[in-house]
Amino acid sequence: MTFFEDQLEKGIFQICHCKNCNNTIWPPKEICHICHNKTDWKKSTNLGKIIEFSKKESMYFGLIEIDEGIRVLGDISSRLIPEIGQSVKMSVSFNSKPHYSFTVENN
Amino acid sequence: MNKVAIVSTGQTKFSKNEDDVEKILFESASNCIQLANNCDSKDIEGVLVSTNNNSKYLGAILSETIGIQPKISHSIEHLCSSGTNALISAYAYISSGLSDIILVSGAESATNPGQVLEWDKSRGNFEHPIYWGSMFTKSYKRKFQTTEEELAIVSAKNHKQAMDNPFAYSNEPRTVLEVMNSKQITDDLRILDCSRSCSGSSSILLASEEKAKTFSDQPIWIKGIGQKTTSASFTKNILGEIESTRIAADLAYKMAKVESKNIDVAEVHDAFSVCELMAISELGITSNDKSGEFVRNLFNTENRMINPRGGLIGAGHALGATGISQTIEIANQLQGKSDKRQISNAKTGLIHNMSAAGTSSSIMVLEN
Repeated sequence: MTFFEDQLEKGIFQICHCKNCNNTIWPPKEICHICHNKTDWKKSTNLGKIIEFSKKESMYFGLIEIDEGIRVLGDISSRLIPEIGQSVKMSVSFNSKPHYSFTVENN
Repeated sequence: MNKVAIVSTGQTKFSKNEDDVEKILFESASNCIQLANNCDSKDIEGVLVSTNNNSKYLGAILSETIGIQPKISHSIEHLCSSGTNALISAYAYISSGLSDIILVSGAESATNPGQVLEWDKSRGNFEHPIYWGSMFTKSYKRKFQTTEEELAIVSAKNHKQAMDNPFAYSNEPRTVLEVMNSKQITDDLRILDCSRSCSGSSSILLASEEKAKTFSDQPIWIKGIGQKTTSASFTKNILGEIESTRIAADLAYKMAKVESKNIDVAEVHDAFSVCELMAISELGITSNDKSGEFVRNLFNTENRMINPRGGLIGAGHALGATGISQTIEIANQLQGKSDKRQISNAKTGLIHNMSAAGTSSSIMVLEN
C-alpha cells in the first residue's frame, strides 16, 4: 500500500507537492517529474466544487475539483439536484481502491 | 520513406463467446494470408499482435502457429486503440526499410482486463467506462444543446448499418424509440448508447510499395497518420472536448495533404453515442453545434459515410481488434468491396481510434 492509500484509509487526502518547483503532483509520485527532487505532502482542505454530475439509480456522482486543481470522480450526497460550481465537502476512504465522497454544503 | 499499403485482410465475427485468444488470432491471420495473392507465410518478415489480453508472448505464439520464423515479432497494448497503434508501428517498420511485409493481428476475449484502468486513482471507485461516458454525455448536452433523440439516432444508425456487416456482433435493428426507451444505466446513458466488450479478431497484411503489387491487385495506401496522447487520467480531460483527436487529426491531414472535406468515409470510435458526435466535430467533418443535425441527416438519407460497418455500438468492441476492423472497413470501402455498405466512389477514408476516455487518439488516412 502506498503512503497516499494508507492516508486515504485513515480518512486523509494527502496532496503531493514539490517544494522545489512549487508544483502539485497528481496522481501522487515520490519524485517530481519536473525537477526530480523528492516530493512532499500536505493535507487537502477537503473542499471542492462540482464540475459535472450525473446519477445512477438513487446516487449522484460526478467530477469534482478540489485543492490545486486536482479532479476526482466521487459520489455526491445532496438533498436537491446538484448544481455545477456548487461547493462540496470531501470525505475519503480506501478499500482496495480509493473512495471519494462529497456532500453539498448548505443543503 | 517507403510507401506502405494494405494488401490483404481477415476477420472473425465479433461475439460474446469465451473464445481462446490464440485460436481466434490464428483464424483471422490465416484468412488474411489466404486472401493475399501469391503469399507464402514465409514471406512475412514481422508479426505484431495487438491485445489487452493477459496472455503473454503472442507475437511469437502467432508466428509459430502460422509456421514462420519472422525477423520481428511482439505485442502492442494501448487499451482500446491497440489495433491502430499496432498498424502504425508496422507502418514505421516498413516505411523505414526495416521490413517489407508485416502481419498485424488483433484479438480480444469478451472478458478482457482492458476496460478498467486501475492505475487511474482519480476515478476512485467509479472505474467503469460508463462513468466517464456519463460525464462526457452530460457535459456535451449542456454545452451544445444536444438532445436525447439526437444521441439515440447515433445508436439507431449504427445498429442499422451493422445489420449489413457479417462480422458485427449485433444484427438487430434498433429504432430511435427503442434506444430512448432502453434500460437506463445512468441519468445520461441508456444501455443502447454503449458499445459492448466483445470477443473477436482481425488481421491486416501490410507491404512496401515494391512488394504490394505482388500480393494485391488493389493495394490501399496509408497516406496520413496522426497520434496524440494528452494524459492517462480521465479527470485531466476538458469535458466536452477530445483534444487528442483534434491534434491527431490535424497531423494526419497534413501528412496526407488532405482536408476534412476530402474524407468520403470514416470509421470513428463511438464507445458511447456521444463519442461519435464529438469525434466527427473534432475531425472537422462537422461542428459541435451541428453534429446532432449532421447525424440525423445521415440517418434520414441512409448515408453510411460515418461508421458504415456499424461502429463499436453496432459491430461490438473487441478492444485489440477494433482498430484493425475499422481499418479493414475503410480499405474495403476504397476497394469498392463493401457490398450493401458501399459508399459510392470513395477515394479517401479515415480511421479514428481512441483510448481511455479520449486521452489518446490515433488517426489514419487511407487512399486507393
